[in-house]
Amino acid sequence: MLLTVEKLEIAFGVFSPVDDVTFSIDRGEILGIVGESGSGKSLTATAIMGLLSRIGGQIVAGRICFDGAELVALPERQLRRYRGGRIALITQNPMTSLDAMMRVGPQIDQAARLHLGLDRCAARTRSLELMADLRIPDPALVYGLYPHQLSGGMKQRIVIAMALAGDPELLVADEPTTALDVTVQAQIIQILVELVKRRGLAMILITHDMGVVAQTCDRVAVMYCGRVIEQAQVNAIFEDARHPYTQALIRCIPRRTMTRGSMQPIPGMVPNVADQPIGCRYNPRCPRVADNCLTEIPGLRIDTGDHGVACHMADVA
Amino acid sequence: MFLFILKRLILLVPVFFVVSVVVFLIIHLVPGNPIDNLMRAGSSSAQRVQIAAKYGLDRSLAEQYFVWMSRLVTGDLGTSIIQGRPVGALIAQNLPYSLQLGGAALLFSALTGITAGVVAASFHGTRLDDGISGLILLGSTVPSFWLGLLLILIFAVWLGWVPISGARGWTSLILPVIAAGVGGIALVARVTRIAMIETARQDFVMLLHAKGLSPLVIQLRHVLRHALVPVVTILALRIGWILGGTVTIEYVFARPGLGSLLIRALNQRDYPLVQACLLMLAMAVILGTLIGDIVQAAMDPRQRQARS
Repeated sequence: MLLTVEKLEIAFGVFSPVDDVTFSIDRGEILGIVGESGSGKSLTATAIMGLLSRIGGQIVAGRICFDGAELVALPERQLRRYRGGRIALITQNPMTSLDAMMRVGPQIDQAARLHLGLDRCAARTRSLELMADLRIPDPALVYGLYPHQLSGGMKQRIVIAMALAGDPELLVADEPTTALDVTVQAQIIQILVELVKRRGLAMILITHDMGVVAQTCDRVAVMYCGRVIEQAQVNAIFEDARHPYTQALIRCIPRRTMTRGSMQPIPGMVPNVADQPIGCRYNPRCPRVADNCLTEIPGLRIDTGDHGVACHMADVA
Repeated sequence: MFLFILKRLILLVPVFFVVSVVVFLIIHLVPGNPIDNLMRAGSSSAQRVQIAAKYGLDRSLAEQYFVWMSRLVTGDLGTSIIQGRPVGALIAQNLPYSLQLGGAALLFSALTGITAGVVAASFHGTRLDDGISGLILLGSTVPSFWLGLLLILIFAVWLGWVPISGARGWTSLILPVIAAGVGGIALVARVTRIAMIETARQDFVMLLHAKGLSPLVIQLRHVLRHALVPVVTILALRIGWILGGTVTIEYVFARPGLGSLLIRALNQRDYPLVQACLLMLAMAVILGTLIGDIVQAAMDPRQRQARS
């Protein structure tokens, strides 16, 4: 396995918005992490990048193991060699992710110069190739533009080029298309997936869009309230979802065969971090609550088919 | 960009006339007049009328303004009523001292203030930050004349390192520059610190960290560049202050300068001198903002585009 996250717990002061998160990903694989806002997807990504302290959080338990190295224990200086060089981040909002006062080309160069030891000229050549790979028209022209002169889709391509510049093995893409126009979203996802497959990279794709997951991912981990509640191969999730929350999520995907008004939203709201329910965190919204759901947090049980689910009632149904 | 500067320069002309009217009215509306300062005790009212007529003070305000302005546009600033010398010569004599002190103080407060702000922001939330922020607060509350006296006592009287007062040689500039610059340091440091902390919270800084760049490079090459934009605004506002803002320091250190010249002229109601000084200070402030805008546009590509 390239990356293994085990029983990860993240704390901000007294709150633990991420608790008991376990998953792993291998080279050439795309892992989707799905969940509503506030489910801890982005925090998990930030933790993998080793950037939690920047936003005031810390890892209080668990392991993040990358290619045999334990990242949680690594001092900042050594962690910097992984960041951008071996694990790269693609952020949510391309509008705010670029330095507005710097031309976009040199921003792509940075990681290559830092991690691959290229000089200015070689880094530029490499950046131009990357930009062409990402189907940016006229790379040499775009190289010298400032972010505000580019459209959202172009900016996100620059952000992706920045992530690829350091030749990483793992990409962490945190909702890479959420801030974009719907017409551009599919295009960006397509380019991204194509590049990842061609280069044999691993990618963690964080999203709340089950449609994107179905089209792109190999495996899926579903998160709810800071915990992974189900994970499996992508087919197994869509054909044999075992957690009531996953089932509800899948029912929320619009289909052509649906009649007007037949969409079934999940009742209730995601509980606040400060006010988590006792027992299974999904119990206030769950249609089949049993007694032990109200007292005991279900752990993730993985069966022989590598299908894991954290629900007391999964086998009953 | 060139068009933007040209437009702003042309705009200066109407501003110049409005400011001149305001300046003219202010000094003429203040009670008292220069004749009081020229009359000896026991002079008759006939002499009074004679002197008023000599300087044109018996004419209407509109006429007086017109006379002043028509001379001004030919470059003639008039003659000081009390001192009897050309206003242009008086200003030329005092201007270099003000420029030296004000310019050095501005440079000193900019460099020290930015450095202090960067250090405080980089160690945000630590004791070092608290210490610097405390000093900044202290610096912004200490009156400059008091600090000037304290500095004189310590470094000139007790230690004897520098002259007590006057404007001979560069050593006599050290204490006044420090005394005049401390307030500016506090201001610049505070703005730099806040702007850097604000900038550091933005997404793009997080992504820079994600690239694996060192915090030092990120702070200096990226965050500081963004933070300097508001700092330039503050510094530009203080360019006007260079010329006239150091009057208390000039008094404490017995230095000549525009500030002292203006205050003396104001007390004596020396109309031509006051008008010329005030007009010059006002234009310096306006030019300062213009320079600030140009520098900002040179720094920030977004502003450059908005203005071209």
